[in-house]
Amino acid sequence: MQGGSEVDIVEATGDMLDPAAAAWTTVPVETVRLAPVPLEAQPNAYIRAAWAGRPYGRVSEVRVATVRSGDSLLVRLEWERSGDPPGEFADAAAVFFPAAGGTAPPITIGTHAEPVTLWAWRDRLEVQAALPQAKELIATGPGTFRPRGASAGDTAGSGQTSERPGSVAAASRCEQGRWNVVVQGDLGPASKSGRMGIVVWDGSNDERAGIGAVSPDWLALSSS
Amino acid sequence: MTDTAMPSPLDPGTSGDGAKAPHPPGQVAMVFDLNKCMGCQTCSVACKVLWTREVGEEHQWWMSVNTQPGLGTPKGWEQMGGGWTEGAPAPGHQPSRAEFGGGWEFNYDEVFYGGKGRSVHLAPRDTGDGTTRWGMNWDEDQGGGEYPNAYYFYLPRLCNHCTHPVCVTACPSGAMYKRAEDGAVLRDEEVCQGARFCMEACPYKKIYFNYARNVAQHCILCFPRLEVGVAPTCARQCPGRLAFVGMLSDTDGPIHKLVEEWGVALPLHPEYGTGPNIFYVPPLAPYRLNEDMSIDEETPRIPPEYLESLFGPKVHSALATMRSELERVRSGGTSEILDTLIVYRWPDLFGPFTTDPASLDRTPEKVAVELTEGSPQRG
Repeated sequence: MQGGSEVDIVEATGDMLDPAAAAWTTVPVETVRLAPVPLEAQPNAYIRAAWAGRPYGRVSEVRVATVRSGDSLLVRLEWERSGDPPGEFADAAAVFFPAAGGTAPPITIGTHAEPVTLWAWRDRLEVQAALPQAKELIATGPGTFRPRGASAGDTAGSGQTSERPGSVAAASRCEQGRWNVVVQGDLGPASKSGRMGIVVWDGSNDERAGIGAVSPDWLALSSS
Repeated sequence: MTDTAMPSPLDPGTSGDGAKAPHPPGQVAMVFDLNKCMGCQTCSVACKVLWTREVGEEHQWWMSVNTQPGLGTPKGWEQMGGGWTEGAPAPGHQPSRAEFGGGWEFNYDEVFYGGKGRSVHLAPRDTGDGTTRWGMNWDEDQGGGEYPNAYYFYLPRLCNHCTHPVCVTACPSGAMYKRAEDGAVLRDEEVCQGARFCMEACPYKKIYFNYARNVAQHCILCFPRLEVGVAPTCARQCPGRLAFVGMLSDTDGPIHKLVEEWGVALPLHPEYGTGPNIFYVPPLAPYRLNEDMSIDEETPRIPPEYLESLFGPKVHSALATMRSELERVRSGGTSEILDTLIVYRWPDLFGPFTTDPASLDRTPEKVAVELTEGSPQRG
């Protein structure tokens, strides 16, 4: 499926947070093409200067499946991991939803007027064993990620108090050179917007913040 | 999208993506007199004890004293890029843990408790990541020159709390900002997402990364102390009376006089373009010795071009002023510059921040609550 098409949300059967859960084999899987987040969309002049001419967004496609479990949405992402050794940055991925509607395309990962809510997962580097792997963030552009409830500053859409602190969970496996990651969050934002974007970071290429690969179009979420 | 070019010194400061921030009504600045620094690292340890004792902070030295000439900390930091070039932020290298070095774990158990105290030396455990091959002042006493004209001096380094902080510009999440009250460059660690563009962009490479918490960290100018009138711990603990603290705009204070009026205190690497607010009185040195061990009074032992590479071309006039003042005093005259740098009264170092921290009520809030709620009185 090309970006802009539908992703079917089916009913979960059992606990499916584990990406290796057998129930995932029965869920329809769609392949979504990704593209580098445009350099001109990066949030500041430093990042634009530092990454000018340097390839990024190296994860070109991701396989997506979604299930609904009660009030939760679970999204399973699968992609080929870079063969390069890990460096300072960890592989990571997120799905995101319009926080309050709007018409902005997902490739901006939110705007000041139309922020998005992210459910973010990140692999742990060896020295980061105690860090949580999943969290909910608000973004108003590539890399402008803030925890929900962080001080507002001049950022529209932040300054909110999370109604569901710690509501995002994730589990991951890396087998045969492929990441399999499931992120789980409240179904509300997803069902309300009916749209979902995806962003993936190749940590071995120092990808982080707005330097990554994103779904160029929204994926429409439908329920069967 | 608004571009983020370096603002003119006359313009309001810039933060984030060109968002205009008001100029700080007051900029706290510091002056370090390198002629008095003996490299004792008391400032470094005072800072370490106060601010970076938690897990993930083992390798962090927000204040560190480097021996010059040397590669410094992180190793080779002056070749790592960053800063501003012709009004635009310049790409820089993110220092690695190995380049910072330090944060070592030692074999205490083996030497002190394992019965091998006579056969095994105390040494850092090699963790295989290169961190035991460099450290906070690895260049200690290496220096430059050749006998009998070898030379070295010490350079205390901390965040420069710059007027044009490129780290703030580089931060994508808006976690970093320059505080209006005192010009301190700070980071909201609740907002920081660990992207580390600040570490790349800072040309002084004085930002560290806390792997345990996934946040960058750096000197906070001891702002909680400033808020209650106490000088930063690096300055207050310095036994050499060489670290001045004060408002840059206080025309009666030593900082303003040393920097603006007399021109004997200079920023480190002004060509980086960030407008540091940490200044240094450059080091004079003993005269050179000729081959016959007679004194060469014409040639400075520390090569002027080396000092210019650190402090810019104004170093020559700064040193000339210092030499002139010294000569005047040797001739029986007086010098306000030298009297200021001598610091006859210790509190004169601290401008408006002379409060003794021991005089503050630092009763833990939790204890106060317990007492008011009728818990048993403490003995």
